[in-house]
Parts: sequence; C-alpha cells; structure tokens
Amino acid sequence: MRAVLAGVLALALGGCASQVISIRTVPDQTPAADNAAAAANAAAVNAAAFSEAVAADAISSATDAQETAPPLTPADAPPMYTYDPWERLNRFTYRFNARFDEAIFLPAADTYRRAPRPIRAGVHNFFGNLAEVDSIINYTLQWRLKYGLRSLERLAINSTIGIAGLFDVAAKLKLPGTPTGFATTLAKWGMHPGPYLVIPLLGPSTLRDGVGYLADYGAGYGINIANLYRGNVSWGLLVANGIDQRANINFRYYSGGSPFEYETIRFLYVRRRLIEDEGLHSKEPARKAAADAPAGK
Amino acid sequence: MMSARLKLIPFALVLAAATAFSAQLNDTPPPQPAFVSAIGLSDSAGLRATVFGTPPQDMAALPAKVPLSEINIELPWRRPVPEILWFDGKLRVWISAQNKPAPLAVVISGTGSDGNTKTISVLRAALYGAGYHVLTMPSPTFPGFIVSASSTGVAGDLMQDGNDLYAAMREIIAHLPRKVRVTDIDVLGYSLGGANAAIVKSIDSTEHKLKIHRVVMINPPVSLFSSVGRLDTLFAATIGPGDRAVELLYRRLYAQIANLYRASDRLELDENFLYSAAAATLKSDAEFAAAIAMTFRLQLVDMFFVGDLYAKTGVITDPAHPPKVGDSLEDIQRDLRAKPFADYFARVFAPYYLKRRPDATSASLIAANRLDIITDALRDDGDYYAQTSSNELIINKRELTWLQDTLGSRIIVYDHGGHVGEVGDRRQVADMLDMLAGHWPRSTP
Repeated sequence: MRAVLAGVLALALGGCASQVISIRTVPDQTPAADNAAAAANAAAVNAAAFSEAVAADAISSATDAQETAPPLTPADAPPMYTYDPWERLNRFTYRFNARFDEAIFLPAADTYRRAPRPIRAGVHNFFGNLAEVDSIINYTLQWRLKYGLRSLERLAINSTIGIAGLFDVAAKLKLPGTPTGFATTLAKWGMHPGPYLVIPLLGPSTLRDGVGYLADYGAGYGINIANLYRGNVSWGLLVANGIDQRANINFRYYSGGSPFEYETIRFLYVRRRLIEDEGLHSKEPARKAAADAPAGK
Repeated sequence: MMSARLKLIPFALVLAAATAFSAQLNDTPPPQPAFVSAIGLSDSAGLRATVFGTPPQDMAALPAKVPLSEINIELPWRRPVPEILWFDGKLRVWISAQNKPAPLAVVISGTGSDGNTKTISVLRAALYGAGYHVLTMPSPTFPGFIVSASSTGVAGDLMQDGNDLYAAMREIIAHLPRKVRVTDIDVLGYSLGGANAAIVKSIDSTEHKLKIHRVVMINPPVSLFSSVGRLDTLFAATIGPGDRAVELLYRRLYAQIANLYRASDRLELDENFLYSAAAATLKSDAEFAAAIAMTFRLQLVDMFFVGDLYAKTGVITDPAHPPKVGDSLEDIQRDLRAKPFADYFARVFAPYYLKRRPDATSASLIAANRLDIITDALRDDGDYYAQTSSNELIINKRELTWLQDTLGSRIIVYDHGGHVGEVGDRRQVADMLDMLAGHWPRSTP
C-alpha cells in the first residue's frame, strides 16, 4: 500500500512538469452575488470599524488598571525578523508542500468540488462536529467555560437533530461554531510560539502550534469516538478531512509569483498568532519578549 | 489540518492598513510639497477611489456566473529558470469561454500583477456578460511572466515587453481548446497594461498574426518612467526613505491591530476584522497616498530581484553564487524595500539594455518608454480607445492633454476614479463595451 502511494506520488510530482500546456477548470466566479454581498457587508463593516474604534478609545482612556491592561505601543511590537532557526529545512519543506499541493492536494480538491453542494456541506459539518469534542476539552483547559458550554451544546444538538453531525442545526439556533485546540490552550497557558516550523503537508506553524496539532490528533485517537480514529476507516477519514479542508481554503502556493513568498507567509502567520496571543492575555500588559529577540522567541 | 491553520491574511489589505500610520510618522501635518507634486492630477477623492475602487452600489450589473479555467503553458523561448524561481516556469493565464462563437477580449493586468486580480475579475465579468470570451494575462512585469515568458528577464521596456506579450498571446491563442471559437480579437489593459495593449496592437498591425481589432487602454501611463518616478516620490514623502521607516510603520500597525483585537472579544483574527481595522484607520490623503506607494513598492521589489538575477548586474545577488532554495532571502527583501525605481533603472535596466543596444543612451531608453513612440497609430488608427480620470494620479496635465490631442474623440475622461478606481462602475463598463463594439463616440440623434 505504501509503495503504491509512493509510486503515485513520484509520478505525480515528476510528471506534472512535462506537459507544455495544461488546463484546469476552477470554480465558477459569481460576480453578481459577490457584489451584492459586498454591498450588504459595506454597512456592517463600517459599523464594526466604528465600534472597534470606540472600543480602542475606551481602552486607551480606561482608568481602571485592574480591569484593562495599558494598550500596546509601537515599541511593544515584535521586530520584523522572525525566529526561524530551522529555516533551511523549513524552506525545503515549504517547497515540498507547494509541489504536493499542486500535484495531489489541489487536483483532489478540484475533483471533490464537483460533488453536489449538499454532500460537501454534509462532509464539512460532519468533521466540524467531530472537532467539537476537542474544542470542549480545550475550552475547559483554557478555563473559558462559556465557549466550552457552547461547543457542548453544539455537539449535542448536531449529533442528534443534525443526524450524526451532517447538518449544522446549532448554527441556525444562534450557536455558531468557534473551534479551538491545544495550540490555543498552550498559548493561553503562557507558552511562546517558539521557532517557526513548516510542517510537511500541513504548512506554516510554530513549534508550539505544531505540538498543539499533535495533541489534537492524540486526543481524537485517545477518545476514539465510534472507533473512527483507530478503526479500518480512520485513514480514509483523515484523507477526506484533509481534502474537505483544502477545498474550503482559497489559497494557492506562489499565485503571487513572488520570490519572497516564504518570508511573507512566515511574517503574516507569526504576527497573526502573536496578536491572537495578545487577545488571550488581554487583561495583562503587553507580552514583551527580550528587547531584540526575533518575533516568536 | 493544514488548511484550517492556513487562513492567510490578504497581504494587500495588511499593507493598506500598515500604511495608515504613515501620517503619524511625519510630525509635520501640512502636506509636503513633494507629496503634492507627486500625485499627478489627483485629489482626495481620487486617492480614496484608487485605494477602495468602485463602491459596490455603483457597480454595473454583472452576470450571476462566469466559468473560469486556468491555463498553464510552457513557452519555447523561455530562458533557463533560476533554481530559486522554480515555481514560475510556466505562464499562467485564465480563460472564460462562451459556448458559442464569440469575439475574444484579451485583458492585460497592471504593473507587477498576475492575470487574476480584483480589477481583472470585474473586467472579466463585464466582458463575459457582454458575450466575449475573456482571456486574462499577467503584466509583463509580473515575476511569473518575467520568468516564463520574457526573452530577457529584465522587465519594463515597452517594446521588448510588448514583443514578449505578443508572442505569448499567439502561443496561447493557438493552444486554446477547439471548442473556443474566436470570431475577432480585441485587447484591453489597465494601468501599465493599457500601454502594453496599445503596443501589442501596433506590433500586430505590422505582423498581422492575430489581426487584433480594437484596443481599450484603461488609465494608461504616458511616460512609464515619469509615472513610476511619481510613485517613488510619493513613497519618500509619505513613508520616508529607507527600510527603517517601513519598520516604524509596521510597529504602529501591529500595536493598533493588537489593541483593536484585544478590545474586540473575538476568538480569531480573521479577514473581516482586518478589513474593518483598515477601513477604520485609513483616513487622510497622506495615508491613502502611502498605501498606494507601499503597494507599488512591493511589486517593484519582486521585479527588481528577478531583473538583477537575470541581468547578472550583482546589485542584490552575487551573479557567481545566486541564492538557492534553502537560503534566506529576508535581508535581500529588506534591502530592496528601501530601493526606489530609479535604482532599478540606473543599476539593472539601463546597464542591461545599454550593453545590448550600442546606439542607446540613458535618455533614449527613457524616451523609448513613452506612449508617443506610437503616436501616429494612436492618432490615425480609429481602433485605439482610452478611458481615464481627471484626477488620475500617474499622469500630469501635460500628459492628459497629449492623450486628448492624440486620440481626439476616442478618449473619455471621467471626473472621478483616480487611478483605476472607476473600473466596474456603470458608465465605465457601458463606455468600454461601446468602444469595443465600435459604437464610439456615440452618435447624437
């Protein structure tokens, strides 16, 4: 089995470079609907921007230091450099991921997208529902019980009325899904992101987040609901989950053609995670690393 | 899995937001003379329109569904692909085909951009809705084009880029699936792509290989180097010289977004949040101008790097030891961010072309990059059209007058839009379609 997979992989990775021309059908564009959505969102965005600006004023003028930490200043921002001691390896992994995506992941997602929308929605909801178990554990570990309870309610509703999670009934009952995992738990517990890490097949991460993903998988494996994680179907489910996720992400390696894509993605990924960390610790002063330590260390 | 963690922040948006803080960097609030002189004909409304584009409520009616296919093609004249640019070896273009015989509209992207930008999507939708097959192509200054389709690797020469573009177009059109039945060919382009489109038609009018019928230039530059020079000045005036200013900008942005995020009670930093953060912070003319200058500079960084690598000019990479896949490029990127277009011209572009064109001088290279190298065609051939704005920031009054004098009734100048900010609005789309159909100027009863 493994040898066959390796063979297919080698053929796909090697073979894709030899044609002079290839044509790939991508999902239809829906300009009218997109524009209608943009028009509908414009007002909402303005309102949100306004309320956030007001909120920002509120924190900067807050006098109760116990409740709110002082706002971050530009000096609190991490440097533009990112902590990446494994850069060489990471870069090769990044290239591997880009090639794998082009040759295997993306074609698989393209094929999957031809399935009728209700089927794809069912698949997506099914995996989302399974992930609620991990969210419940982690919201509890993060001591954010309000969200943990919401995940629990979602799991209960969608597993029953939603027919084993195929329908997201809870979202229609104003209980939107907000998944979390061990990566966020570790962050909540105060762990810094650590070195930047490009994980084979999974993509950009940090040491902390990578450990978190591993723990997410371990938790699923340990609990092993309905023998889905250790039974005969577990590999198939893992692949299906991966393809479903890929089909729902609008990202194409090197679509910008830039020689600096690795730098750009690393910069954005780590900054985004650091800002999310600030959100997790919003009641404390800015989490400042050593003066000149690169971001993430 | 991967993808859930891979929700990426749209880069341009971050930059737009990043630049929001530029005004605060300059302690003197009144606009500097350099800033004012750098913005061409533009005004507040023009700068805003350039950043945000046509508001959704002003958009022309667009079709519900546009089919789309991506074509990746290997071109025979491609130069050897440097190891570090392994991903750019094939030219990628997009086609939206009708089910019946139809005219083909080829759309060329703006400076440094691929053939699938937001502006391209709007033009594609409008053209497809009007019954055209639509083929969209990257700019010849896009790294993916330079590597896969340029015969020199050094982009920015109007005629050279035009020849490469023309050759690529012929190759692609020859390889289109048989079910795409083409009755006629028109070419459009926005920004630099507008100038490229006109040059491609002028080449075709001597070679007759494609029989290009009409051309519509949308917000074209007149002199490439004065337009980019204007953007350089804008960068220096609103952001500051060197990479230190970029870092200050980034720090302010980071603190601002983090504070908004902390106050927002959200569980995830997503696109909607960033969009509202950007919209809330971009307010003054200097901030809009900085966003525009920064966006352009980042496109220049890629073109500069690739050009230096191909021309072996050694400005940023050692020609004897070019960077390899595992090597960090962060320092190179940082150095390039601080370099204006003038440096690209003086240290990569001019040395490369002067060596290969014995009769050329720096001045002649600059002169060769003006639209007036095809003045006769533009004036005498009734199939060239243009759309621009009275508050266009990449041209000045003299250049606008030249366009009007040359094209006569075949140019329309809108009173809004800045640079490419009017694309997609009802009038622009209606006029563009009439120009392509030969119903322009509209006859008055």
